[in-house]
Amino acid sequence: MEFVLDQLIAFASSLYTLASDPLTYLYLVASVFLGIVFGALPGLTATLAVTILTGFFGNKFPLEQSLIALIGAYVGAIYGGSYPSILLNIPGTAASAATAMDGHPLAKEGRGGEALGITTTASFIGTLFGAFCLLIFVWLLLLVAKNIASPEKALLALFGILLSGTLMSQDLVIKGWIAGLIGLAMAMVGMDPILSEARYTFGWSYLLSGFQIVPVLMGAFAIPQILDGMRAAVGGAAPLPVGRIVPRLREVMRHFPGILRSGGIGTGIGALPGVGEDVAGWVSYGVAKSVARDSSRFGLGSLRGLISAETANNAAIGGALIPLLVLGIPGSPPAAALLGALKINNVIPGPTIDPALIVHIVAILVMASLTMFLMGLFTARVFILILKLPRTVFLPVVLVLTTIGSFSVGGGINDLFLMLGVGFAAYAMTAMKYPIAPLVIGVILGGLFDETFRRSLLISDGDLSIFITRPGAAILVALNVALILSQIPAARRLVAACLPKSPAIGKD
Amino acid sequence: MRRFLKAAAVAALGFGVVSAAEAQTYPYRDITAAVVWGAGGGTDTINRMIMAEMEKHLPVSINVINQTGGVAGSNGMVYVMNQPDDGYTLVGLSESNVTAAVQGGWDQKFSYWHPFIVGGSPDLISVPANSPHKTLQDLIEAAKAAPGSIPAAASGSGSIHHLNLLAIENGTGATFKFVPYKGSAPGQEAAVAGEVAVVVTSLAEQQALIDGGLLRPLATLTPEPAKVGSIDIPSAFSVYDGLDKYLPLKQAIGFAVHASASDDVKAALTEAFDKAMASDTVADWAKTNHYDISGQSGAEASAVFAKLESTFAWTLWDLGAATVDPATLGIEKP
Repeated sequence: MEFVLDQLIAFASSLYTLASDPLTYLYLVASVFLGIVFGALPGLTATLAVTILTGFFGNKFPLEQSLIALIGAYVGAIYGGSYPSILLNIPGTAASAATAMDGHPLAKEGRGGEALGITTTASFIGTLFGAFCLLIFVWLLLLVAKNIASPEKALLALFGILLSGTLMSQDLVIKGWIAGLIGLAMAMVGMDPILSEARYTFGWSYLLSGFQIVPVLMGAFAIPQILDGMRAAVGGAAPLPVGRIVPRLREVMRHFPGILRSGGIGTGIGALPGVGEDVAGWVSYGVAKSVARDSSRFGLGSLRGLISAETANNAAIGGALIPLLVLGIPGSPPAAALLGALKINNVIPGPTIDPALIVHIVAILVMASLTMFLMGLFTARVFILILKLPRTVFLPVVLVLTTIGSFSVGGGINDLFLMLGVGFAAYAMTAMKYPIAPLVIGVILGGLFDETFRRSLLISDGDLSIFITRPGAAILVALNVALILSQIPAARRLVAACLPKSPAIGKD
Repeated sequence: MRRFLKAAAVAALGFGVVSAAEAQTYPYRDITAAVVWGAGGGTDTINRMIMAEMEKHLPVSINVINQTGGVAGSNGMVYVMNQPDDGYTLVGLSESNVTAAVQGGWDQKFSYWHPFIVGGSPDLISVPANSPHKTLQDLIEAAKAAPGSIPAAASGSGSIHHLNLLAIENGTGATFKFVPYKGSAPGQEAAVAGEVAVVVTSLAEQQALIDGGLLRPLATLTPEPAKVGSIDIPSAFSVYDGLDKYLPLKQAIGFAVHASASDDVKAALTEAFDKAMASDTVADWAKTNHYDISGQSGAEASAVFAKLESTFAWTLWDLGAATVDPATLGIEKP
């Protein structure tokens, strides 16, 4: 308890120092805006925003100032990814893929303003939640994160793929799983992470580095969108009404329990080394759907779904900083870029880090989230105008943006062929009512699953019991099995048949 | 109107002459350094640090970007190879890139580059803090008693840490169960989580975990001992005689320009590099981060990389982990 009090006092003084320096605002406004733009442009990621600023600041500016800019851009980019997700159904970053599930249907209903407003609020509260967890529970969360090894990571990745398959399917759940497995198979292409053997490359050197995530993401989400638009937009779509942006306090209060739950999930997942904002959004969305009393609105424009995804991916920022600061192990890709920035300034994050720096970073996070909130309500007004553009104008622009986004990562023409190939396949799958998101999640998490699953078996000499003898792994195995069984009608009937009996057994 | 056009044409011509005159002295526009490894890693950090320092001695800025992916950093090397050899695109690299050719990532020997070596950090062999093994001898004896059963982490097949682990095995007769990781950080993370019992990575990478009491360093894999805080780390060479036969390898992190670049370009870069390396900033940085400074460039640095290339390439070939025969690339046996 004394620790909590000390941390709060240190935080208050750090926040005061920060808030009373006019320079802070200059850095915050510029960097949060840059972050939002990077997040909103398809293909440009939070990692890139932080990396570019790391290069710009180098060791030429005091660390306190460059940290304000880096964290501001990080927070802005994770939030900014929600704009294209909601407005165009194209996730700006992988972290906001779950946001599109309910955000875009809302925009189509003419509630785009409301969706952006509630997203801004959810991101704001999520970031604050993560920041306070970083302040108060830093050592506690560390204990959990430290014990996550290969078996747990493999099962978590599998859970993410199965979960998105389960949630995204329009008719049959098995279609979602099939899409997820196709993504998993695509992730196997390239150099094998354990033995460094080439797999499924057919002697073509481009395939050695595997399918890059950004072209797959762009192709899978943007191309079907554009093709659909080309078919539908001949007459020019009527501009959609925008609606109110600033959310009503009553609305926010009504969703408060959900916001807290999603914040907790987001921070926890962010704190796991190597698992970041993208997984946080999906898991939180999945949990929200499974605990909801009426889950029929999910995927059709549910505010609960939107809030759960957006709160969690922003809460994951504070979580991702925990292993970075106290172990020197980044919790997410943008956190890895932050690690570089700390190191070139002679700060070695790890168990010997100056506790004052952690408190300072929490203060920056709080200031950055506040800036993001105020700025977001303003920029949302500008971005929402996209909806008023006729689709015949903005779809070609979207195509150009996604092409540039795919090209910018590797700088090769093959990435564009990959984007188009995945795009046409995705369009065909959409037409057959196969969900696309699980495929993308399969590609994103497949590499992690492959590597950690096989490494677990390498360590156990091929003994599968390693997945049930570790307590964390056993829980995750149970979750995976339950998820699969819950979708098998026979198993469901069995559970339904057993349930009324069990109290009877209790009475005897 | 016509007069305006004429004036504009003259002005344009004038600018052309000026820029042609400037073109004679390299550099007159900003330089880009493409680092082939990811943000936050050793090569990335060193390049951002040294480029910021070299900028102070050059009239232009140096932008550091990351071009990752491929095999042993081949994406970034191919990217820079495809840029003009005018010295405006540099490549940030490390000793681990010398295996790109034998692993099929690209088709050039390392002598394609004119390298500059900033330095490297000695490798350590360490165990988790709660490990029963207190010294290197304890660990080696345990490994000899149960060959191939103690899991040991090092980053991917063919990395310097993997080759150093092999060298320890060859030099002491012990065998471990080699578990590859994608980088040093995940390997160390696995050691802290108790997934592996031994980890071989560099001192710079391990220091935070050693300081925090999460890893126990057993020995350095270089002739010199090291010291982290109050912990003295002996050299493995002082424990096992004859290890020097097997452990000739040391990290070499830095950057390079096309070997085909003009002498003016190389001279300008070397001058800025030498001045930067002599600065207090670099010395302080190296001390805090446990790096040994090298400062070699040109022929000297090329010789270091040629030796690394031949050792790495042939070791991988003998392990069956190389896809291209080093002999066909003209890489001599060590």
